[in-house]
Amino acid sequence: MDLLDLIDLVQSIADGILFGATYAMLGIGFTLIFGVMHKINLSYAAASVGAAYASLLLMTGVSVPAPVVFVFAALCGGAIGLVVYVVCFRFIPRANPLATLMSTVGLLLLIDEVIVHATDGGAKSYPALFSDVIIAAGAFNLRGDLMFVFALGCVSMVVLLLLLYRTRLGLATRAMSQQPLAAQLCGISVDRTNALTFVITGVVGGMAGAMIGAAIGVLSPLLSLPLTVKGLIVTVIGGLGSIPGAIIAGLLVGGFENFFQFFRGVSERDLYVMLLLFVFLVFRPGGLFAPAAGRD
Amino acid sequence: MDFYLGMIQIIGVHTLLGLSAYCVLLTGQVSMAQAGFFAIGAYVAGMLTVLAQWALIPALGVAGLMAGAVACAIGFPALRVKGLMLVVATVAFGEAVRLFFFNFDYQVARGEIKMGPHGGEGFRQIRYFPEHGWSTLDVALFVWTVVVLVMAGLWWMDRSRAGAVLRAVGEDELAAQSAGINITAVKVSAMTVGGVIAGLGGGTFAHYTTHIEHIQFGVVLATFAIAYPILGGLSNVFGTLLAVIFIQGFLVEGLRFLGDWRNLLFGGLILLAMNLRPRGLLDAKAVAALRRLFPGGKERSGAQAHGAQ
Repeated sequence: MDLLDLIDLVQSIADGILFGATYAMLGIGFTLIFGVMHKINLSYAAASVGAAYASLLLMTGVSVPAPVVFVFAALCGGAIGLVVYVVCFRFIPRANPLATLMSTVGLLLLIDEVIVHATDGGAKSYPALFSDVIIAAGAFNLRGDLMFVFALGCVSMVVLLLLLYRTRLGLATRAMSQQPLAAQLCGISVDRTNALTFVITGVVGGMAGAMIGAAIGVLSPLLSLPLTVKGLIVTVIGGLGSIPGAIIAGLLVGGFENFFQFFRGVSERDLYVMLLLFVFLVFRPGGLFAPAAGRD
Repeated sequence: MDFYLGMIQIIGVHTLLGLSAYCVLLTGQVSMAQAGFFAIGAYVAGMLTVLAQWALIPALGVAGLMAGAVACAIGFPALRVKGLMLVVATVAFGEAVRLFFFNFDYQVARGEIKMGPHGGEGFRQIRYFPEHGWSTLDVALFVWTVVVLVMAGLWWMDRSRAGAVLRAVGEDELAAQSAGINITAVKVSAMTVGGVIAGLGGGTFAHYTTHIEHIQFGVVLATFAIAYPILGGLSNVFGTLLAVIFIQGFLVEGLRFLGDWRNLLFGGLILLAMNLRPRGLLDAKAVAALRRLFPGGKERSGAQAHGAQ
């Protein structure tokens, strides 16, 4: 391998890590919901893509600047999050994890089909910010749109951490995840806290959906299943319920993916991501930052 | 007529897939790997009849055993984790199997044409049934013979000690462990049995469709596999059958006149069913109600209703 190949490799990994910010945000969403409800929300990635699609509606009538589209995607994500909670979790008994698993799958299919129905299944182009900016750092080029996506991801993660650790809502959320019964006895409303958590994760998901649209350039309903798988992998590698873990795992998976894409081509790329997951499951089943309480 | 026979075949194969997930779900584990075992069964059986010119039944047997062996091997590392971790691990396994077959190329020239799995293009010309002059009716009867045998086996297992052990692990792992049950052994055996059934289903599937490719065995099929038993209820094997008929017969084929709207209703109806009947369409209560309606063989059913609670 000569120097040029090496530069290409580093460039490709750097791009992957920047794109990994979107995986990290999806991972955060899965982890947060699992932390509060101890249940999986399989419709999360589909809802995120759906929010990004919904923000495109704004573009059809009036021409608005791209940042407004991003904000609107986050708002739509929050609204969809609330719907997800009401439809899939609110009326199903807590003690029945299989039923909610199935209902979220039903919603995943429903969201996908709504998207296909509304757009005839074709890919839609999504606005990107700073796509014409390319920062040259020595031999490497950093793409402006990916940098923006990465920065946006970092900012939203910091805001989310502040929200969780510095506000009363965050306190209630964390109390619910540690001891639901004790939290109820302290006067925390279960439904309200759960619903708000879904809205927050929905906002994060909406941002992630918009970022994915901006980074790839197009949105397609075909994105939602692979993104679900990637988000779940990130959640497990990072350690269930751990936000820093999800962030690091997201960037790691992004970098890893491009590393293998460089060597083995795009058709085998995901095979190695799955292998990475298996390595983690065998040698470190709790993930990078497993909470001490156990691994379920 | 052929249309209905085709549908009966589809329902049969999907029942096998659902029953394979049913085994694992009895122990309280959600396995999304069933589509992977199904794929292994399909490719192995197809390669044996097409490339090695085996008869169908031994080929199916080997396919089932292969899938079961892989399930057993994957069961040990995967069942160290449970809950969400297991879902993710098995999703990853299923995807890894699919990607393996996406990159799997093994072709043998036979006369003019090359036969065998060909990467992304899939595995064409699994023509065992037409070559041996089986009519559609014969195929449907064959598929359902397999289904009935498997269902009878599971029904018998459910009422024996093995079924009680599986359900004990599913209800409360800690209690089962305290009662001296080796939960890892129970889970891995359930996974193995599930793998064998999925392998049989995959083998049958490969022969009646005559063309298989990697995309058929993705996450969607795995979701369907666990959807059948969950939607149908875990109280007995007929729940799974009912759910397959509900999904494949009613949602997929019966609503075809709705055109585009059918796909929209599909997810919505699953949502509705789960909200209204979170324990499945045929849950313990429904089974008890059916028993009251048809009070035949009272003593036996009384004992079983007790076991179901």
